[in-house]
Amino acid sequence: MMRPFVEAIRTFRWEPFRSVDLVERLGYASGYARNFLSQATRQGLLIVESKRGKKEKTFRANPDVVREIVLRGGKEKTELLEALGLHSKFLGQYVALRGFSVVDHDADVYRLAERVFPDTEAQDDVVITNVGTPKKILTVEI
Amino acid sequence: MASQIGIGKCWAFNDDEQPPYPTIELTVSSADRKASISPKVDTGFNGSLALGREAVRKVRLTARGTVLIKAATGHNEVPVYAVKIYQPDLALTFTTLAIGTERSLAGRKLLEHRTWLLDCKRRRFCITTSRPATND
Repeated sequence: MMRPFVEAIRTFRWEPFRSVDLVERLGYASGYARNFLSQATRQGLLIVESKRGKKEKTFRANPDVVREIVLRGGKEKTELLEALGLHSKFLGQYVALRGFSVVDHDADVYRLAERVFPDTEAQDDVVITNVGTPKKILTVEI
Repeated sequence: MASQIGIGKCWAFNDDEQPPYPTIELTVSSADRKASISPKVDTGFNGSLALGREAVRKVRLTARGTVLIKAATGHNEVPVYAVKIYQPDLALTFTTLAIGTERSLAGRKLLEHRTWLLDCKRRRFCITTSRPATND
C-alpha cells in the first residue's frame, strides 16, 4: 500500500489525480489502480475530491499522513521525504514539516527547534525530522 | 582579577549501578504536567537532554518528530519532544528539544558555559562558583 502511495506523491505531489492518471503516468493496470485508490482512501492516505458535474472522482494525498509517517519513522519516512523532493534540497539537514510544506530547515536541530517550538505547546501540527544522515548528528555514547 | 573556585550545588552520584555515575536534578514539564528527574550526566552526548520512557510517560509528552542519532550500537531513529526544563540552582528555564532514549541523560549542551566539579572521591557532581581571591 505504501509503495503506490509514495509513487503517487512522487508523481503528483499534492495535486489532484484520477484513476486514469495512475494508469497513464505510472503504468498501473486499471484494476490495480482502482483497488489502490479504494484501499488508500479507506486508510486515510488519500482524500476523495468529488467535483459536481464530473463523472470521475479525483484524489489527493492527505497532508495529515506526513506527520503519521514521520512519527513512525523507518523506511517509509525515508521514502516519503525522498518522494517529496527533500533529499535534493535539504540532504543532511533537519526540516520542520506542516503537511507537505517545509516551514523551516536548519543543519542544527536545536536551532530549528528554538524557532519552531518556542514553547511546549507551539505548532503541534508541525513535525521535525532529519533528511538523510544529518551532518550535525546527535551522538549518545551509551 | 584573580579568583578562587568555590563549590556550589552538588548532586550525589547514583549508585544503582557500579561504578556509581554522576547525575543532576531537573524539573521537566509539558503544557500540563511536570516531573523531577535525575538524568545521568553523559559527556558523550552532544545534545541537551534525553528522556527515558518513564519520564516521557510521567510528563505525558507527545512526539514532535523523529531524528536519526548515532549511538554506541549504531544509528537509531528516536522520537523528539518539546520540553521545558527548570533548574533553579543553575538559573535555567528554557524550552528545548529532548530525544527519547532508554534512560534519561543530561548532555554537553546542558553543561556548556559552566565549570563543573566531578568529585569521584566524594561521589558528587557539583557546579562551581567563582569568587575574588583573598590575600591572606
